[in-house]
Amino acid sequence: MTLKINEPKAKESTMAKAVQWIGAPLDRADGELKTTGKARYAADFPLERMVYGVPIVSPAASGSLIKLEVEAAEKLPGVLFILTHENAKKIFPIQNDFGTATKLAEGRFPLQDKKIYYAGQYVGLAAAETLEIAQEAARLIKVICKEERSALDSEEELPYSYFPDNNWGTPLPVIRGNFEKAFSNTEVQLKAVYTTPVEHHNPMEPHACTAVWDGDNLILYESTQWVVGARNVVADALGLPREKVRIISHFVGGGFGCKGFVWPHTLLAAMTAMHLKRPVKVVLSRSQMAAGVGHRPATHQELSIGSSKQGKLTAIKHHTITQTSFLDDFLEAAGGPTQSIYSCPNLLVSYQVVRLNHGTPTFMRAPGECTGLFALESLLDELSYTLNLDPIELRLNNLSDKSPEEELPWSNSHIKECYELGSKIFGWKERNPKPKTMKRKGFLVGLGMATAMFPGVRSPGAAKVKILSDGTAEVLSATQDLGTGTYTTMKQIAAEVLRISPHRIVSKLGDSSYPPAPVSGGSMTSASVGPAVKSAAEKAIEALIHISIKDSSSCLYHLPLEKIHAADGKLVYQDDPSKTEIFEEILKRNNLSHIEGESFVKPDNSAEGYTVQSHGAQFAEVEVHPLLGQIRVTRMVGVFDVGRILNQKTARSQAIGGMIMGIGMALHEKTVYDPRTGRVVTDNLCDYLIPVMADSPAVEADFIDKPDPRFNSLGVRGLGEIGITGVAAATANAVYHATGIRIRDLPITPDKLLKWL
Amino acid sequence: MRAALSTLKFLEAGSLSHAFKIMKTHPGIMPTAGCTDIYVSLNFGTLKVREFLNLWGLSELRKIQMKGDYLSIGSLATYTQIIHSDSVKKWIPMLIQASSSIGGMQIQNRGTLGGNIGNGSPAGDTLPVLAAAEAVVVLGSTEGIRRISFNMFYTGYRKNAMNPEELILSVEIPRIKSQQWYRKVGTRAAQAISKIVMAAVLSKDPEEQQDPRRIRIAFGSLAPTVIRAFRTETALAENGNITEAQKTLLSEIQPIDDIRSTALYRQTVAANLLAEWWGKVSPRSLIKS
Repeated sequence: MTLKINEPKAKESTMAKAVQWIGAPLDRADGELKTTGKARYAADFPLERMVYGVPIVSPAASGSLIKLEVEAAEKLPGVLFILTHENAKKIFPIQNDFGTATKLAEGRFPLQDKKIYYAGQYVGLAAAETLEIAQEAARLIKVICKEERSALDSEEELPYSYFPDNNWGTPLPVIRGNFEKAFSNTEVQLKAVYTTPVEHHNPMEPHACTAVWDGDNLILYESTQWVVGARNVVADALGLPREKVRIISHFVGGGFGCKGFVWPHTLLAAMTAMHLKRPVKVVLSRSQMAAGVGHRPATHQELSIGSSKQGKLTAIKHHTITQTSFLDDFLEAAGGPTQSIYSCPNLLVSYQVVRLNHGTPTFMRAPGECTGLFALESLLDELSYTLNLDPIELRLNNLSDKSPEEELPWSNSHIKECYELGSKIFGWKERNPKPKTMKRKGFLVGLGMATAMFPGVRSPGAAKVKILSDGTAEVLSATQDLGTGTYTTMKQIAAEVLRISPHRIVSKLGDSSYPPAPVSGGSMTSASVGPAVKSAAEKAIEALIHISIKDSSSCLYHLPLEKIHAADGKLVYQDDPSKTEIFEEILKRNNLSHIEGESFVKPDNSAEGYTVQSHGAQFAEVEVHPLLGQIRVTRMVGVFDVGRILNQKTARSQAIGGMIMGIGMALHEKTVYDPRTGRVVTDNLCDYLIPVMADSPAVEADFIDKPDPRFNSLGVRGLGEIGITGVAAATANAVYHATGIRIRDLPITPDKLLKWL
Repeated sequence: MRAALSTLKFLEAGSLSHAFKIMKTHPGIMPTAGCTDIYVSLNFGTLKVREFLNLWGLSELRKIQMKGDYLSIGSLATYTQIIHSDSVKKWIPMLIQASSSIGGMQIQNRGTLGGNIGNGSPAGDTLPVLAAAEAVVVLGSTEGIRRISFNMFYTGYRKNAMNPEELILSVEIPRIKSQQWYRKVGTRAAQAISKIVMAAVLSKDPEEQQDPRRIRIAFGSLAPTVIRAFRTETALAENGNITEAQKTLLSEIQPIDDIRSTALYRQTVAANLLAEWWGKVSPRSLIKS
């Protein structure tokens, strides 16, 4: 089979008279590998004498383990080892801190005690010569527990809840002005409760880890969003020097947050491999994906909003009741958008958290932003009807040049252009503002909109760029491509600096032995690693210039270095462009296989005094069947202001992916727990619904594409999460517009609509 | 926990008579074809059976052919085969609609009509079609061949009138001189297990106007088995009053709340679907004054 590779289209820049690779809609560098099956994911490395590990899980949701009856399993031919709390290696305590890149996803090590905190918690691991034998062994093992009363119902546990006093260092509750006083004096008052269910990430590639010991060196092929974090945690926990542990994660089949930090199965794989002195592969089943690798916790959000008759917000209160486990203090910070988009002098954002015997929740695409925006943007829609104002006008009324939270100017904000361009593409003007007035082929038609937002986040990141003597180049960084396009965009950044085609550059990522990079979470990879790649490429060119001006055989010998620049794979003397030398000749003549530049870039203070935040405007059209209550999203438009776009094609794909995931949040996704046992009932892709192609409408994603130079040297802000943030609200608002029915509880299923239709 | 495949016995039938013999000599063995349901239950660890008989190679059970005044569809005919069959398209197009709504293409390539019947899920997508079509199920064993009306086939939740050693050989569908109608309602637009399924036929043939069987309505996902709404059919045949028919329908279904739907939704939508269908098909001439 031959693959047609599209030739890249790049912009000609008149100023530099060179090709602008940044922004060009290049095909994915890893596309061919993935479509031909050559891309190796964590479970795809065929190693000799591989052992297969299958976790044994607790049937009980709380209490303690009495014993594991392993005799029958141990007799099974091919069974090699049953790892239990009785024979597990002692794990060393670690710092468990995000800042030091040692964050555990579940704040407890596996098999170190007999306590049980949730159904599905690992109580052991069956290791065997084949996967089937290991599965059969795990099935034969009887887990005997002493069950205690489990906390499984949020409402019942409410009296035992706690009020967190900070969210990542920001003190809680967030208070501005005096909400109570302002609300009681305001002209228009609205109150409503919005609820969102537990959701699971369900990436197509399950969590997987292949652990290989080579003497006292450990290699883990791990599906992770953070190779450096995984390396640190595993090394510290097993008491190994960090340089003895290497994490490889070349490809990740989706993460959406659940692969951000290390979960216990990774340690089980490493411990078993250490005991057996053979490679061990552990791949979680779809059912295990529902128990102990995180989820988005449910929220119950009480909102009160006060406004003038003209639609100026005077007071907002946003109280979120959410859930965590007995192991960690996770907070789904749904109030974030409420305190950071619209200017409102009186505000109260608070939280209450209930502990349940469920696994620990974790970050799931736009954690807090998309749950919070569902509530806030729905309530603003309700207010627009109360005030008889266009929903966009209401939002424009409440924007400010300064961030409401920090009262600082935006580093760069084009939110108004998002509304403008979005409503033009979507055809917002065609909308009859009155609900239940638009119909098409027997369906009720509704149009809704919502604001999207995500804060600008960046962390220190490092990269190395090598120019090789064959005229090609390499970019190396211990960041990882979750399927988002990082392999491609990092090449484009290097190409623009080195002035060579990105097809002559290879990105090498997903390996903890490369220069360190942060977690691919918080939409920060481009803004953190991108500037490091740029700087490393600049250093590589600089090093090459230094060699050439000291090389007496070079036509650039003794020329002033500031007058030499790279162009089209050559170094060129500015004052006499006939004096050029191609990269590879300089290297070959000096007997160098390559020359490199390495850079570690920390966020500088150029954004000090500014608030960095991305915004967007999202629009949805729905059709509702008047007799069946079935809802289909028929069109979506999203326009985002996320700074500079590195690759129009991969950016658009990522935004569209986020928007389709938003349809899932709006209409389908809900995790159901058995209220008696605490086990997940929807632990498979038949019962946990996500949108299929037939649910995915025409989606248009567009970008303002204006750089934010205060934020970093590339002016890029990242866009992994913003695409999902406004979809649930835009859809709910469209459903209201179609039917006159306001659904404040996600997902919006036909059952919830029908009683009103 | 998933059952280990190496612990399962999988016997191969060389011929139909061989299959009959194996069924007789291996009590408790489960006949299989496309395995689209069996793999799911094995994966969930809910299937207790450990011995299976593979029928997939018996091509004589895969034929779709006209036999006099009925259409015979072999039990191993896949949904893909049914979707592309001209005979099915002419004779019973609502079966094509039902088959197209099942799973994705991979499932349609493996899943069989006989499997859908044998599995007997109350949400089985083709089952309301067979009920409304008054199909006949042909069963075979070493004892010989027997026929049973599809509407007598199920005796309870996933229970049927087959003897343990019998195999489903084919389904015979009599001629339907009627307009056919099929609707599946799911939470998402495709690859969904239904919240409710309805199949209905209504004859416009003047010769059949006195025949009480000219209206036939069947539902899936509303009761422990697929059901024919016999009393609703009679109510409509007698006076064509849809409001009364809807009331009758609600008295003959027993929907439940589950993770796919609420009972209330199923009741309401069953009544709405009935009205939608009746609104489209009922000619005034049918209604007795």
